Amino acid sequence: MGGISAHDLRMEFDGFAAVADVGFEVATGEFITLLGPSGCGKTTLLRMISGFLAPTAGTIHLAGEDVTRTPPEKRDTALCFQSYALFPHLTVRENLEFGLRQKRVPPADRETRLEAVVGALDLSPHLAKLPNQLSGGQQQRVALGRALVMRPSVILFDEPLSNLDARLRDQVRIEIRRIQRDFGLTAIYVTHDQAEALAMSDRVFVMKGGRIEQSDTPERLYGRPRTSFVADFIGNANVLEAEVRTVDGNGLVQLDTALGPLLAASTIPPQGSRIRVCWRPEDADLAATGPNLLSGRVTHRAFQGHFTDLHLETGATGCRIQTKQPGIQEGDTITFSLKPEQIVLLEAVA
Amino acid sequence: MTLRKWLFVLALLTPGLGLIVAFIGVAVYIAIAQSFGLYNLSGESGFSLEFWVKMLDRKVFSRAIAYSVYIGVLSAFLSVLFAYPLAIWLRKPFPGSLTIGAMLKAPLLVHGLVAAFLFINVIAYHGVLNQLMQGLGIWDGPKRLQNDRNAIGVIVLQTWKNMPFALLLLTGAVQAISDDVLHAARDLGAGGFDRFRKVIAPLTVSAMQAALIIIFIGALADFSFQVIAGPTNRQSLAQLMVFYKSGGRWNDAAVVGVTLMGIAILGSVLLAALPRMTLRGRVA
Repeated sequence: MGGISAHDLRMEFDGFAAVADVGFEVATGEFITLLGPSGCGKTTLLRMISGFLAPTAGTIHLAGEDVTRTPPEKRDTALCFQSYALFPHLTVRENLEFGLRQKRVPPADRETRLEAVVGALDLSPHLAKLPNQLSGGQQQRVALGRALVMRPSVILFDEPLSNLDARLRDQVRIEIRRIQRDFGLTAIYVTHDQAEALAMSDRVFVMKGGRIEQSDTPERLYGRPRTSFVADFIGNANVLEAEVRTVDGNGLVQLDTALGPLLAASTIPPQGSRIRVCWRPEDADLAATGPNLLSGRVTHRAFQGHFTDLHLETGATGCRIQTKQPGIQEGDTITFSLKPEQIVLLEAVA
Repeated sequence: MTLRKWLFVLALLTPGLGLIVAFIGVAVYIAIAQSFGLYNLSGESGFSLEFWVKMLDRKVFSRAIAYSVYIGVLSAFLSVLFAYPLAIWLRKPFPGSLTIGAMLKAPLLVHGLVAAFLFINVIAYHGVLNQLMQGLGIWDGPKRLQNDRNAIGVIVLQTWKNMPFALLLLTGAVQAISDDVLHAARDLGAGGFDRFRKVIAPLTVSAMQAALIIIFIGALADFSFQVIAGPTNRQSLAQLMVFYKSGGRWNDAAVVGVTLMGIAILGSVLLAALPRMTLRGRVA
């Protein structure tokens, strides 16, 4: 098994940089998700790691070995495709055995590996079937099994769940994570679904315009985004511009915003005198009192089951909060508070 | 499907397919009947095995069968062999690929006789090739390339004429294979040849079979290329059939014709089975 290390990776297509000077380290056994909107460069980055694209500049090391110019068939990686890419003319067993036969794994070892994967993915009833006789979820499991059976240093996933329905997606998501842990695989997972990224990953690389905007644990990424793009992309966030009034030695920052004066507590000093800040809608506390006491009129109400989404008109601007408190209706005026540590300081306003 | 539906489908097919089957059926029936002495145009009609017995004894007949099968099989395989790499190369569009594809398919529009005469101009004793080789100092003097004993000229002509047809069939089949499937094979360790052997060939086997069969039948029954560019010491089955017919020996011509049809059917079955059998052990 081995980790991945990339330095100054760059991929240009006709002068356009799809990936721009990206560098990162992934530890052995770590599960990393590349998350970002369409066109942010996540699939390009994955294709460079798998060897299907040769970077314009930079290096990639797998398990300490420089593989920048190594073709995919010679890399110790296995890629799970979005379309599954099963060989339609081969049975499930033949699909699973394909890579092992290519690598000339001895028959006894081949059988042992096959049994382990077939057992883990519950594929034994389907071994003699052709891919077109399987459901989407079963095909996905075969694609996963075909990659796992290779026992690669690194397993790569290119939006493998995007063709599955929501229920099946949840099941397979858990399955992938369990197997990745059981086999101790280093995994790179590409998705544009932030819920999937947060649920599965040890770390998430949020990408924008060919660069990694922030790489962090899901908890930190959600709780401490560094930029308004990350704050907005990961979950819902109220992002607003703020004037920094004072900063004291304890990390308390006095801000002037369109919502009114706010007090933020931050371990990182503000990036400038005019910055962006954000807070999560679910952080609004309708019962408490505190330094950040705000009020607004409910302009829109949407019941979501386990919470209610409220859009508020507050002063010259608007915001969004989520509450479990029933009975609030459109037109009501409500008061809520935010703890200083729930207000996150973001980048400076250009 | 119910009997009623079958009859309905049959009724729909009858105006088109029915006429073809009827006309071919009549021709086949008359040829078979004439090979057994019936429908005799130049004598008494009556069932007889005499024409078959005499024909099977003639060396010229067995040589014509061997020669025609040689031309048919080799032309079919060479056409497919050259068409595959081109089809894979042209699988993804690139600047100029459309023009290259069109140029490669041009021989489809050239009539066989015209092609044969063009070829003769190239390989003739004072033709372009001879002059070029002498000009380059590779050959001391002109060589006789026309009507060569091994029918290489005919094979070249057949392959040149039929390769575009194979290309047409194979390009469509190769283009239907998704990039991801080929990438998956590569990702699992398959190099270029293994990707062809284990993925591309099995997934395009139907197109390959169609190309092999259609080219084989055409080349097996070749007349024009053989007459113009073929060896003078042997005849193709079509040439032999015309020879007998020209001499008024309709029954002998019918025996050769029926043999040609029989070999075409048998050869087609074998050529259809061969790729499937070869690709059966596709994973190993």
